[in-house]
Amino acid sequence: MGAAAEAFRNEVRDWLARHWTPERRAAHLKKPFKEHGWDPDFSRLMGRDGWIGVGWPRKFGGQGRGPTEQIAFVTEMANVGAPVQAHSTGESIVAQALFLHGSPEQQAEWLPAIKRGERTFALGYSEPEAGSDLAALRTRAVRDGDHFVVNGQKLWSTGGDKAEYIWLAVRTDPEAKKHAGISVLMVDLRSPGVTLRPSLALYGKTFSAQFYDNVRVPAANLVGAPNNGWKVITDALAAERVMIGGTRMAGIERAFDRLTDYLKTAVVGGKALRNDPVIRDRIGALAADIEVARQFQMRNCRLIEQGRVPLHEAAMGKVFSSELQERLGQAALDILGTGGLLSEDAGGAPVGEMEQVLRHSIMGMIGGGTNEIQRNVIAQRGLDLPR
Amino acid sequence: MPQHGGVSDSERDLLRQSVRDFLARAWPSETAVERAGDAAAVTTLWRGMAGQGLTSLGADPAEAGLREIVLVFEELGRAACPAPLLGAVAANLALSQQGSNAARALLAGLHKGDAAVALALGGFDGDAAAGRVDIRRQVARGTVSFVEGMQGATHVLVFTDAPVGVTVVAVDAPGLTVRATPGLAVPPFCNVAFEGAPVDWLELAASTLSDIALAARLACAGRALGAAQRAFDLAAENAKVRKQFGQFIGQFQAVQHKLADCLIRLDGARLAIDSAAAARDAGNPDWTVFASAAIAFASPALREASIQTHRALGAIGYAEEHEAPRHFRRVHADLARFGGVSRARAELADHLLGPVP
Repeated sequence: MGAAAEAFRNEVRDWLARHWTPERRAAHLKKPFKEHGWDPDFSRLMGRDGWIGVGWPRKFGGQGRGPTEQIAFVTEMANVGAPVQAHSTGESIVAQALFLHGSPEQQAEWLPAIKRGERTFALGYSEPEAGSDLAALRTRAVRDGDHFVVNGQKLWSTGGDKAEYIWLAVRTDPEAKKHAGISVLMVDLRSPGVTLRPSLALYGKTFSAQFYDNVRVPAANLVGAPNNGWKVITDALAAERVMIGGTRMAGIERAFDRLTDYLKTAVVGGKALRNDPVIRDRIGALAADIEVARQFQMRNCRLIEQGRVPLHEAAMGKVFSSELQERLGQAALDILGTGGLLSEDAGGAPVGEMEQVLRHSIMGMIGGGTNEIQRNVIAQRGLDLPR
Repeated sequence: MPQHGGVSDSERDLLRQSVRDFLARAWPSETAVERAGDAAAVTTLWRGMAGQGLTSLGADPAEAGLREIVLVFEELGRAACPAPLLGAVAANLALSQQGSNAARALLAGLHKGDAAVALALGGFDGDAAAGRVDIRRQVARGTVSFVEGMQGATHVLVFTDAPVGVTVVAVDAPGLTVRATPGLAVPPFCNVAFEGAPVDWLELAASTLSDIALAARLACAGRALGAAQRAFDLAAENAKVRKQFGQFIGQFQAVQHKLADCLIRLDGARLAIDSAAAARDAGNPDWTVFASAAIAFASPALREASIQTHRALGAIGYAEEHEAPRHFRRVHADLARFGGVSRARAELADHLLGPVP
């Protein structure tokens, strides 16, 4: 990392030291685990000081930072456990789509609000019969004067019980081929006719199912041209995969550091764990994998800096890092034994959060396109194998 | 560790293309395997490589750093070419700063293609069974195993650890016995016994020798990468034309996912190896950690890629007349060496957890 990037990193650290204080962090961690990471007050504080939209173009009020600095930013945030989830979907996926497909009015209204940390979003993509095959979605939106009327059901929306708005993929032309009849609406989840059913995911946080019953959505909240939603969705996702990977990598590195810090001094049953050849071999293997995951991430950054959108390269990074997270969680349990099963707030846990790493890894392999779908992308786009 | 003059990406692309073109002419795929055991053919190849400037790799870091060395090794792997470049690189790295007449004469011969050097890392090899050579009163005694490049070699470069240094011995020197030890590696490694061979010995710091030995390990990982990538490319192409059950086998998800996983392993190894070599070229003292990580990843990953490549090829790739078997041999021979994956992981554990007392 160059001197400019290092200076930027220090600026971020400095701000965090002043605003993500030990007191604030302790208060945050006192809340139930499922609320960790989601703090609209802190999002607004970040927004006030210009820390939302670090990677946005300057013409939209962002800092115009490149991918390497953006990764440094999310890494610094993750390293201290600063809660960014309330604004992150709006800041990343929604904003990216609005840059490319939003009307001038939408850009003028929604982007500044997101940047201030005042509009929180969840994604409304999956449905009971549309998961990996997202284009099979059936939630209907029918134009009625200045509104769309929405009917249908969405599933597995991370943060969908807490967000104010949902980035909703809907079918606007049921006659068109499946990719061609989709549109994207920004829907206020507090609208009449929306019913939320929150549920708890394996990793300890919530997502929601939503039922839409004649929900009226202003037509002004349609993003992009009608029936052009597939393009809006894929453009937004392609640009964001790398940053999502950056957050995951920061989590993996932090967990690995905690594990190795523990192993340096731990003595169990009279034996120093650090001298155990099996443990050393496992740690060496994980360290090599982490370096390779970093290399995939840096390659994605280089491609973006060259003006390319990494596609199969991003898929490789996603597959590798999410499966590495799984290996790390499994290795931690093997190394720590029963103690590895304990939560960080349990007394006597050798290294807390390790079982959490494992539970979280499952989401990494499923969310944002399952690893099996990613492998299809690698084979068909990276290797040009026939479909 | 020398600072590197800096070769640009486009210069590296040119180097890769020129080496690939040269090897396509000088070491064509059709005869690569049978000629590997032909000392005269290897000697002719070696003179050709000298003409391309390749036998000087490592002599001048401004001309070519470890990244370029690794790149050339990748191409050797791809072409299943047994040129004794490992010994040349090690000799260039060890001796180019030395003023002795013997060192200068050897390097001059090497750069012209008149000399070819086999490499015995001995106590610096990393394999517990590699043996060692000791020097006492200008006489070498000991036995080293897993020596690469003896076919057609004029000299053998030996790393000694009692005392620490190097010696270069002519292959026809008295007291030197060479025995080929056939196995998966083609051409085979050799066992070389020194029974009172009189030698010139040069003192070098253990850190210098370790650094060169690590560069050699990384170069061999690069050679394995080139071989694994070539076999994989053939398998991926085959999947686009081979039909079974009425469709291209590359349409089956079982095959697509297998090949996707191979590509992840190959690209991961390439990125890690290149980054480690670049770190050495930049004078980064942590390059050894990056090299250990690259080797620790590449060793199992490329071997697995090689196995899965064969699964994707099926029986056609199992025939020795197909290119794939030579690459399978190369990948495994280059990655099981030098202490292999266990040693590389142990080095990383030393770095992260401290050495075992």
